[in-house]
Amino acid sequence: MTINRQSFWDQDTKTGLWRIVLEYQDKRSKALDKNNLKEESFREEIYQVKSQALAQIDQLKKQAVVNLEANGIRVFEAKDDNQARKIIEKLLEGKKRIIKAKTNAFGEIDQKGFLSDKNLQETDLGDFVISLLGEPEAHPVLPALHLSPAKIAQAIEKKYQKKVAPTAKGVAEFARGYLRKKINQAQAGITGANAITADGKIVVLENEGNISLVSRLPQTHIVVAGFEKIVPSLKEALMVVQASAIWGTGQDWPAYVSIIASPSKTADIANETVIGAQGAKEVNLILLDNGRSRLIEAGFSELLHCLNCGACLNFCPVYHQIGSHYGDKYLGSRGVVFAAFSASFKKAKSANCFACTLCSACLENCPAKIDLPELMRKLRTLLEKEGLQTRENEKMIANIRQFGNPFGKIEAGKIPKELYCC
Amino acid sequence: MKFLDKILGGNTLYYPGCLTKFVAKDLEEKYQKILRQKGIDFITLSELELCCGSPALKAGYQADFKKTAKKNMKIFKDHGVTRIITNCPACFMVLKKYYQEVLGKDWNVEVEHITQTIKNSKFFGNWKPARPAGGLGIGNSNRETVSYHDPCHLGRQMGVYDQPREVIKSLGYEISEMDLNRKNSFCCGGGGGVQSNEPELANKIAQDRIGQAKKTGAKILCTACPLCYLHLKENAKGIKVKELSELFNFDQDKNDNK
Repeated sequence: MTINRQSFWDQDTKTGLWRIVLEYQDKRSKALDKNNLKEESFREEIYQVKSQALAQIDQLKKQAVVNLEANGIRVFEAKDDNQARKIIEKLLEGKKRIIKAKTNAFGEIDQKGFLSDKNLQETDLGDFVISLLGEPEAHPVLPALHLSPAKIAQAIEKKYQKKVAPTAKGVAEFARGYLRKKINQAQAGITGANAITADGKIVVLENEGNISLVSRLPQTHIVVAGFEKIVPSLKEALMVVQASAIWGTGQDWPAYVSIIASPSKTADIANETVIGAQGAKEVNLILLDNGRSRLIEAGFSELLHCLNCGACLNFCPVYHQIGSHYGDKYLGSRGVVFAAFSASFKKAKSANCFACTLCSACLENCPAKIDLPELMRKLRTLLEKEGLQTRENEKMIANIRQFGNPFGKIEAGKIPKELYCC
Repeated sequence: MKFLDKILGGNTLYYPGCLTKFVAKDLEEKYQKILRQKGIDFITLSELELCCGSPALKAGYQADFKKTAKKNMKIFKDHGVTRIITNCPACFMVLKKYYQEVLGKDWNVEVEHITQTIKNSKFFGNWKPARPAGGLGIGNSNRETVSYHDPCHLGRQMGVYDQPREVIKSLGYEISEMDLNRKNSFCCGGGGGVQSNEPELANKIAQDRIGQAKKTGAKILCTACPLCYLHLKENAKGIKVKELSELFNFDQDKNDNK
């Protein structure tokens, strides 16, 4: 197994990335201070919230479904990506103009050709930019962090014949104008969720304001989320929001937090409830399994603590070299472990399971204290059982079995050349 | 011998680990000298002991790891070992944390990283500094600066951040920290089997770490791990990479009283 040479980021990109993650680190401490939070105790609280919710997830899920439906939100449970796509296609029947806000769970089920006849429009600025340039996402929170404003402005000019200032502001202003038109005309909007409460609320945070528009302006709102987003109540959901902001973008609080408890409605006329006032008439939630139950069964449930803030990548030595080539549908070691259960062990191997140095920088930076290096190590034991080892590891273990050391036969006065060590 | 062990309360084993024992052999010699100078009685088992099993554990060979741990435990027991000192952070972590996990209460050997041993020894700081401080220890103008790389297995995973730094300072060096240090230290790229499985990736990571060290202006990048040391050294340009034991000045051996 060797990583393709083209997978490595160039020096400029790497330098740019470092600048951003170090700024984030600084902002994170300030955001914690502003909220009067101690990093370690807050991480422990988030760990407890998520692990306790996962310990009773079946029950919470049942409650959530009953309460969401009682509030007029339709819930669909999808076993896998295929089922999720079918449900979405059905919900979008007859609709031609679809908009989408940031949802990593949608990325999980997306497939080439899916919704290709729907004029699907990205409205998250970073996602809009990478789809414009045909680039893979470089980070779950900052998908376009590897692209310079000049390069983006050039791409916009080429595609839309519109002169754009080669600055962050120039690009944002263009997107505001362009995307507003698309949002106004859309018939359905797709978003994700940061948390779902067992008492029937969908919580989603953002800075751009596009999620608010995507979830409210079109007639139909579709939410795609993994079932691990369910927590007991708003108290826990808001802790998740706060941690996501602090670790994701270094903010003490995001610009907007939406709590969606039902479709839009009014009773202003004759006290008669009418569904569909100014917001969405229909709200649909697709709760994804897609390997999550298998993950829990295999003892990897800690992975589902993930808030998708991307902080695990910020100091990851592997990510800093190969970016989106590390992982699969999700980036980094988290993506590798997820791929093992949502796709296959083979996929986990090709997602570079054996590229992890087990350095623990991800764990140190995780607000939910996911011990990713330990999960990676455990995953390697499963790959080993499936016969998915690397050639080098096979040599190393043969040496340990035969000679009691990883290098092989030690000849007097000679230093081993091939170093299979830890 | 066994009888004697019992009277004395067991042996202290110096366990260099495979990389030090077979590849960076001069480090083993240096550490043995240092331990002696610190008044620590120890035994060595050279080729009687096995690899700690760290590479097997990290590559996913759980059954092999458990077997190795059991065999080593027997070897250690046969030699009355109740305390292990190692200079290898991977061995340290594995012997301390993972042996406990797979062997349970049968495993009751104390395990220390050598920087902890040195720091805790009653002779700590008696080594004549290789670089004397300016004047009467006032002002630091004469001190050479060293940047210290935290090995992941020693720092983040076992929480040993201070002792290596204190040892370095006790030798008369000034530490110039990299932006990424202690819990935010950046991996050298060699661990987890990556050096052998993905050499190009491992080298690129090391080169980035070297770049970070050079930014501090230090002439020396020091670490307390044989793997980090060998791997960083192989990728170093414009900075000298030294293992902690190499900062000790051994020319003064004769003048030193314990």
